[in-house]
Amino acid sequence: MEAATVTSAPSRRRSEAVWEFISTYGLILLLLALPIRYGIQDLSDDGNLNRLGNNLVEGLSNGAVLALIALGYTLVYGIIELINFAHGEVFMLGSLASAALYATFGLTPATGAAGLVLGLAAILILAMMVSASLNVMIERVAYRPLRGAPKLAPLITAVGMSFILQNVGVLWIGASQKAVPDLLGSQKHLIEIWGVSITRGHVLAIAVTIPLVLLLTSFVARSRLGKAMRATAQDPEAARLMGINVDTTISLTFLLGGLMAGAAGLISALYQTSIWYFQGFSAGLYAFTAAVMGGIGNIRGAVLGGVIIGIIQGISDNRIGNDWTPAIVFVYLVIIMVFRPQGLIGEETREAG
Amino acid sequence: MSRVAQLRRDPRAGVAIAVLGGIAVALFPLFRPPLDGLTNDAILALAFVVMALGLNLVVGFAGLLDLGYVAFYAFGLMVTGWWASDFFSSVNDEKGIHVGTSDFVSSLPGIHLNLLLLIIGAIVICATAGILIGLPTLRLRGDYIAIVTLAFGEIISRVFANGDEVTIFGDNKLSNGRQSISPIDQINLPIFGEFDSATDLRPYYWAVLALVLVVLFVDFRLRDSRLGRAWIALREDEVAAASMGVPLVKTKLLSYAAGGAFGGISGAFLGPFFSSINANQFQFGFSIFILAMVILGGLGSVWGVVLGAVSLSFVNYWLIPDVLDGEFVRGKLDSLGLEFSFSEVTFGVFGFLLVLMMVLRPEGLLPERRRQIELTSGEGPLDDTKAAVFEARA
Amino acid sequence: MSVESGNGSVDSLLATEHVTKAFGGLVAVEDVSFHVKPRSIVSIIGPNGAGKTTFFNMLTGLYKPTLGRILFGGTDVTGTRPDIITSLGVARTFQNIRLFSSMTATENVMVGQHARMKAGLFGSILRPPSVRKEEIAVRDKAREMLAYVGLAENHFGQLASNLSYGDQRRVEIARALASDPALLLLDEPTAGMNPQESARLTEFMEQLREERALTILLIEHDMKVVMGVSERITVLDHGTKIAEGQPEEIRADDRVIEAYLGKREGGQQG
Ligand SMILES: Nc1ncnc2c1ncn2[C@@H]1O[C@H](COP(=O)(O)OP(=O)(O)OP(=O)(O)O)[C@@H](O)[C@H]1O
Ligand SMILES: [Mg+2]
Repeated sequence: MEAATVTSAPSRRRSEAVWEFISTYGLILLLLALPIRYGIQDLSDDGNLNRLGNNLVEGLSNGAVLALIALGYTLVYGIIELINFAHGEVFMLGSLASAALYATFGLTPATGAAGLVLGLAAILILAMMVSASLNVMIERVAYRPLRGAPKLAPLITAVGMSFILQNVGVLWIGASQKAVPDLLGSQKHLIEIWGVSITRGHVLAIAVTIPLVLLLTSFVARSRLGKAMRATAQDPEAARLMGINVDTTISLTFLLGGLMAGAAGLISALYQTSIWYFQGFSAGLYAFTAAVMGGIGNIRGAVLGGVIIGIIQGISDNRIGNDWTPAIVFVYLVIIMVFRPQGLIGEETREAG
Repeated sequence: MSRVAQLRRDPRAGVAIAVLGGIAVALFPLFRPPLDGLTNDAILALAFVVMALGLNLVVGFAGLLDLGYVAFYAFGLMVTGWWASDFFSSVNDEKGIHVGTSDFVSSLPGIHLNLLLLIIGAIVICATAGILIGLPTLRLRGDYIAIVTLAFGEIISRVFANGDEVTIFGDNKLSNGRQSISPIDQINLPIFGEFDSATDLRPYYWAVLALVLVVLFVDFRLRDSRLGRAWIALREDEVAAASMGVPLVKTKLLSYAAGGAFGGISGAFLGPFFSSINANQFQFGFSIFILAMVILGGLGSVWGVVLGAVSLSFVNYWLIPDVLDGEFVRGKLDSLGLEFSFSEVTFGVFGFLLVLMMVLRPEGLLPERRRQIELTSGEGPLDDTKAAVFEARA
Repeated sequence: MSVESGNGSVDSLLATEHVTKAFGGLVAVEDVSFHVKPRSIVSIIGPNGAGKTTFFNMLTGLYKPTLGRILFGGTDVTGTRPDIITSLGVARTFQNIRLFSSMTATENVMVGQHARMKAGLFGSILRPPSVRKEEIAVRDKAREMLAYVGLAENHFGQLASNLSYGDQRRVEIARALASDPALLLLDEPTAGMNPQESARLTEFMEQLREERALTILLIEHDMKVVMGVSERITVLDHGTKIAEGQPEEIRADDRVIEAYLGKREGGQQG
C-alpha cells in the first residue's frame, strides 16, 4: 500500500517531471554501469571487447531462461496480484524432471542427432506438463482457499509452498548439486563472431525461448481464453459478470506460467549440466526482478527484464565472482522496486506520488 | 460442569497456575545435569522467543511483512564477532581493547566488550539497520515490502559471507567469510562472574530467561501505548490512521527499529552462547523459521508468539534431530527399507506449517483478540484493505 | 498561475484557491475556489463521481492537488501530510466507514487523539508518571466522546467490527472529534440511515457547532439534511463548481437542478 504522503507544494509539476526523468534514465544508466565499466576495462587491457562480448552472450542465454520463468510471475501477478513465490521451485522441479527423463528415454551424450532431437522434444513437452500441472495444483491447494483473505496471507503460503517443494527436490535428488549428462555438448563451440564464441548451449536457449514466447504472446492476444485472461486481469468482478469463469481462467494462467517454467527447467538442465534443489530460489528471485523491471503484468517487459538481468548475472559471474552475483542482482531488485515499481517500460497505470 | 472447567473459571486458579509454571520454568535446569541437551535446547528456544517477539512487532503489530529478519540475526551475531573476539587482533598495537571483561579475556588481543555493551551495540546497529531497510519500503505495497526486505536480508547475508574480501578501517576484514570467527568470549557479568558453556549451561539459561522477561515487559508496554495503538491502526487501515494524526513514516520506522533491536539483543546473546559464528548461518531459511513461529503462535499475539517460538525451536532442535532422526524411529524406518532423514526436510516442515496455518487457522494457535476477527471474517477487512489501496494511490 | 489571496481568507477558516486534481487524464476536481467561515456549516453536494470525496481527500492531505492552494486558518497547507493537517485541527470521517475494525470503540477514539499526545518510544516503554497520566486522560476523554455521540456505555469495549452500522458511524464521529478539531469534515454521514436517524444527526451537527465551536463541512446526498442544516452550499459537477450560495438560492438554481437533481432521478445513490 502506498502511503498517502506528499511533498511540499510549489512547482510540483516540475519536480515530478524531473523525478520521472531521473528514475527512467537513471535506471537505464545504472543497468548499463556494469557493461560500460568492463567494456572500458577490456578495451584498455586487451584492445577489444571480446571478453565483454562473451559475457553478454552468456548473459543472453541466462536471460532466456530467466525470461521464461519471469513470464510465470508476470502472468500470475497480472491476474491475481500475487507474487507466486513458489514459482522458482516449479522451475526447479521441471529441471529435475527433465534430468530424470534423460534416462527414461535412454538419452546419453552418445545418442545420435535424430534420436536426441526427438527425445529432447518429448522431454520438453513432458517437463512443461509436469511444471504446469504442479503450478495448477499449487494454486488449488495453497492460493485458492485464500482468495478473499487479506493480501499477505497467500504470499505467506506461497513462501511455505516454496520450502515444501525445495524439500521435495531434496528427497528426490539429495541436498547437493548433482551433475547431469551433457547431452548436447553445450559448451561445444559452434561459431565465432568478432571473437565471441557461440556454443550449442547458447543456441539452444535462444532457439527454445523465442518460439515459446511468440506462441504465448499470440495465445494471450488472440485466443478466447487469452481474452478471458486479459479481461479477468483488468477487472475480475466485471469478467465474472460477463460470464467468464474466473477460477478456470486463473488456473489457466498458472498452467501457462508452469509450461514456461518447465521449458526453462529443461534448458537449464541441458545448459548448466547440473541440477540442484536450491536452483529455483535465486533463479526465481532474479526472474521476479526481471518481471518487475519489465513492468509486472507485461509479457514483453518480462522478456526484456529477463535478458537484462541475465546479462547482469553473466557479467557479475565472470568478472566479480559467482558469490557476489546474488547480492548484486538483489541490489538492482531493491532499486527497481523502490524507484521504478512500474517497471522500465511499463505505463504508469496508477498514480505514483 | 466438570471440575476442570470450574477451575478454569476461577481467576485464582489462573494465577496459581501461572506462578507454578513460572517457578517450573525458572528452576527446571537445577534438576538437570549442568551440561544437558534439554537445557541447551531451552536456551535456544528462549533466544528465539526474543527474535520472534521482535519480528512480531513488525509483522504482527504494524502489519509489515518482513521476510529479511535474518539481517538482524546477522548483525547481532557479527557484533559479538567484532567486539567479543580476537577478530580485530591488530587494534591497540595488538594489545587489544577491553571493557568489563574477565582477567583471562583481558589478556587477549582484539576488541572485547562486556555482554551489556554488546547488547547496547547490537541494539544501536540493528535499530539503525532496521530504519535503513525500512526507509525504501515506506511507499511500497505490502507484497513489495516483503520482497524488498527479503532482498536486503540476502544482500546483508551475502556481504558477510564474502566479507573476507571486503576491507574496512584500514586493512581489517569485514568478516571471516565462510570461515568461523571463534572463540567468542563467554558472558561475563558483574556479581555472577564469567560463565563457562563448556562446563555449565545453566547460567546461560537464566541469562536468556532474564532477557526474555525484559523483552516481554517492553513488548507489553509498547503494545498498550500510544505507539502500539498507532501500529495496529496502521496495520488495519493506513489511510484512516494517517487521517487520525498517525505519522506513517515515523510510526513504520519505529516498528522496524524496535523489531530490529529485539533481533540484535538475541544475536548478541547467541554469539557468546554458540562461541563461534559463521556467515553460513545467515540464510533466508532463518527468516522463515522465525516467521513460522510468529504465524504458528498468532500474528500480533504476544503469548502466541512465545508459544510458537518455543514449540518450533523444540521441533527444530529436539523433535526432528533427536526423536524423528533418533535411533528408535530410524530403526523402524530402516526395517521398512526407507532411508530417510527428517533433518533434510526441516524447512519443508516449516513451509508446511505456514501453508497449513494460513489455510486452516490464520489467526494462529493463541490468537490475538483482535486478529481473530480480522483474519477470519472474510468481508469487512478485505473491503477495507482494498479501499485503502484505492484511496491511498495518490 | 496567479493566486488572488485576500478575498475573504482573512476571516475564513478554510479557503481553497483554484484547486485541481487530475488522475492521469481524468480531471476529478477542477479549479475549485471556495471558503468557509468559522463556526459555519457548509455543504458540498453533487452527483456521484462529481469529485466531492476527492476534494475532501485533498483538504485532508491524502491527495496533493495537481494545482492550486489550500489555506487553513491562514496557513498554506497544500500538500501537507495528513497527520500534520490533523494536528492543525482538521478531522474527518469517511464515506465508507473506516474504523480500525479489530480495536474496541474506545481504542479507536484513543487513536483519534494520537496527534494530541506526547508519549514517544521510550516514554511508552518506561511509562513515567507523565505518560501514565496522559494514558488515563486519553482513555477518559475517549469514553467522554463516545458518550457524547450517544454510544451506549456497554458498547465502549466492543470491537468496532461488532458494532451496528449506526454505532460505527457514531464511533467514527467520536474518533474525529477526539482530535479537538476546529474543522470537521463529514463525508455522507447519513448514508444508510433512516429518516429519524438522519434528523437526529442534523440536530447533532448544530449542537456540535454551538457547544464545541466547530466548523463543519458536509458532503451529503440527503437534500433534507442539506437544506436543513447548511448555511451555504457548494455544488460540484464533473469536478467543477457550478453553483454556490444559500439553500434557497441553490434550490432555485437551474444548473443545479439540471446537473444534480435531474440526474438523481436516475436512481443512483451514494
Ligand atoms: N485514486 C483515484 N484514482 C483514479 N480515479 C479516481 C481516484 N479517486 C477518485 N477517482 C475518480 O474521480 C472521480 C471523482 O470521484 P469522487 O470519489 O471524488 O466522487 P464523489 O463526488 O465523492 O462521488 P460519490 O457521490 O459517489 O461519493 C470519479 O470519476 C472517480 O472514479
Ligand atoms: Mg464520495
